[in-house]
Amino acid sequence: MRVHRGSMAYDLGRMLEALSVLLFASLLIPFVWQEWWAIPTLICSGILPLGLGYFLTHRFEHSGDSGRLHGMMIAASGWFLVALFGSLPFFLLAWTAQLDPGFLGVPQRYTTPGTQAFGTLSVFRHPINGVFESMSGFTGTGLTMAVHENTLPRTLQWWRSFIEWVGGVGVIVLTTAILARPGSGSLTLYESEARSEKIHPSIVTTVRTIWWIFLLFTFFSILLLWLAGMPIWDSINHAMTGLATGGFSITDGSIGTYNSGIIDFTLIPIMLLGSIAFPVHYLILQGDLKNFYRDLQTRWVFIFFGAGTIVLTAVLFRQGLYQTATVSIAGVTLHGTLATLIQSFRYGLFQFVSAASCTGFQTANSLGSEWAPQAQLTVAAGMVVGAAAGSTVGGIKLIRLLTLMKGTLFRIRGVFYPSSAIRTFRLDGRALSGTEASQEFEEAAIITVLWLAFLAIAAFVLIVMLPIGPGPDAYTVENVLFEVASAQGNVGLSTGITGPWMPSLTKVLFIFNMWIGRLEIIPVLVLLRSLFVYRGVYHR
Amino acid sequence: MRLDTIPVLGPLFGAGADDHGFDLLLLFGPLIICAIGILHRSYVSFALALFYTAGFIAYIGYQSITMP
Repeated sequence: MRVHRGSMAYDLGRMLEALSVLLFASLLIPFVWQEWWAIPTLICSGILPLGLGYFLTHRFEHSGDSGRLHGMMIAASGWFLVALFGSLPFFLLAWTAQLDPGFLGVPQRYTTPGTQAFGTLSVFRHPINGVFESMSGFTGTGLTMAVHENTLPRTLQWWRSFIEWVGGVGVIVLTTAILARPGSGSLTLYESEARSEKIHPSIVTTVRTIWWIFLLFTFFSILLLWLAGMPIWDSINHAMTGLATGGFSITDGSIGTYNSGIIDFTLIPIMLLGSIAFPVHYLILQGDLKNFYRDLQTRWVFIFFGAGTIVLTAVLFRQGLYQTATVSIAGVTLHGTLATLIQSFRYGLFQFVSAASCTGFQTANSLGSEWAPQAQLTVAAGMVVGAAAGSTVGGIKLIRLLTLMKGTLFRIRGVFYPSSAIRTFRLDGRALSGTEASQEFEEAAIITVLWLAFLAIAAFVLIVMLPIGPGPDAYTVENVLFEVASAQGNVGLSTGITGPWMPSLTKVLFIFNMWIGRLEIIPVLVLLRSLFVYRGVYHR
Repeated sequence: MRLDTIPVLGPLFGAGADDHGFDLLLLFGPLIICAIGILHRSYVSFALALFYTAGFIAYIGYQSITMP
């Protein structure tokens, strides 16, 4: 056990060192935007994890490789620690503005009570709000404590986008890419971060290739959004959070702020890129375009997104929420019912893709108050299912849903066969033996049941803690289910429940939901069980 | 100079598809973004961004045609 504790400490140290690299790299932003007052904050925020990380890696340098159990514990505790230390820029910058040391020249809008900028930044003086924001960022959720994101200092706008971008691929993937570990430890950790796909035989080469693909797509997405009419700073931030399917925005009304059909439609392929598994991207970049329909998950991403969009468009059209007299597309003006249908399609497509890809960008400002319950539940279904495993999305993942559906059909059909019949279960072109099929089915069932159980628990707590029922300040049960699914699915769409006004207990609950959602629950449960056993709270 | 010998970014270039087309796209992406930051929205910056995005898509198309 002592050896494993050493290897755990060593790996946690490496993750903290990687975090400090991110913080020091972010020093470029206050230089570019001349936010000199943010520089000490970033330096202090970087020194702390660097110091602790350096101590741990050097103290436990010669510890052995960690096994599967400890790999899961490292992943769970590492993500928590990274979120904790990643909250330092929020906390320290808010307190820098509050204390306002004269020599730093903090802009007046951050030190004058009553201004939007002051109100938005001062929220982060409370540590829990910073941890919430950081966990939301690293897990790629996008729920936020910032009320007016456009008034945040550029340094914090960048930090939010940057942590979502890194978190989309994974903190361990980053750590492995820049601080490669010898031995089989990297593979164990990689698998504990809800990843299993391998592009190359070597795990270090695989993670570097993942970053290679991700960087290429990021540059492409930034330029695509800029061409669509977004300012360059907005393009950089939204391309990073869109591709990572995170959903943080630097504007008040998310993507709805731009009120541009071109920008809405440009973001669809960017969110789709984030929903497709990296090995498929690698093959497509090499020209093997058949993978768009040959790969089971990718094919189903398109089918699921298409079907969800049709349902949501139909619900919105029937509700008549987006009634409009005219709509212009490429110089052609449409009137009446057709214009309303196109408008409903625009919002339906964007919101369903945003939900199912677990991005959380919003173009419809009134998801909670004006959308019909049927529309909210359609979006919630998209958030729960998610898209392809091995991509940047959250949720249960399409492959698990497909495994469950096919496995259930296989079992039901089995009743009609004689017990001596030899049957083969086929999944994604693979013929699985009885044991293999049971294993796949069992794994998908366990994750799905756990996912729904934690969703139900969180929804119950929220229903107890929040005002539920009719009235302007109350929420509906649909609102609660939507918000919890959004937090646990790492989506970030909100019906208005999430904000600094939430009770602290619900913030803690959402932090927990985001954490378990990103790691697919089991590593967190393994960590908690081990802690309980270690503390004597629970006996084997 | 070989791209995979560049400090910090070298391992990333080395990890890709061993394809100079994508290496160039990886190299020019940040340069064009910086150019846009300096030039703002102008004919030159628009042309650069358009050339990059169109080139990216066209190159994948080219790869699919020439794939053995």
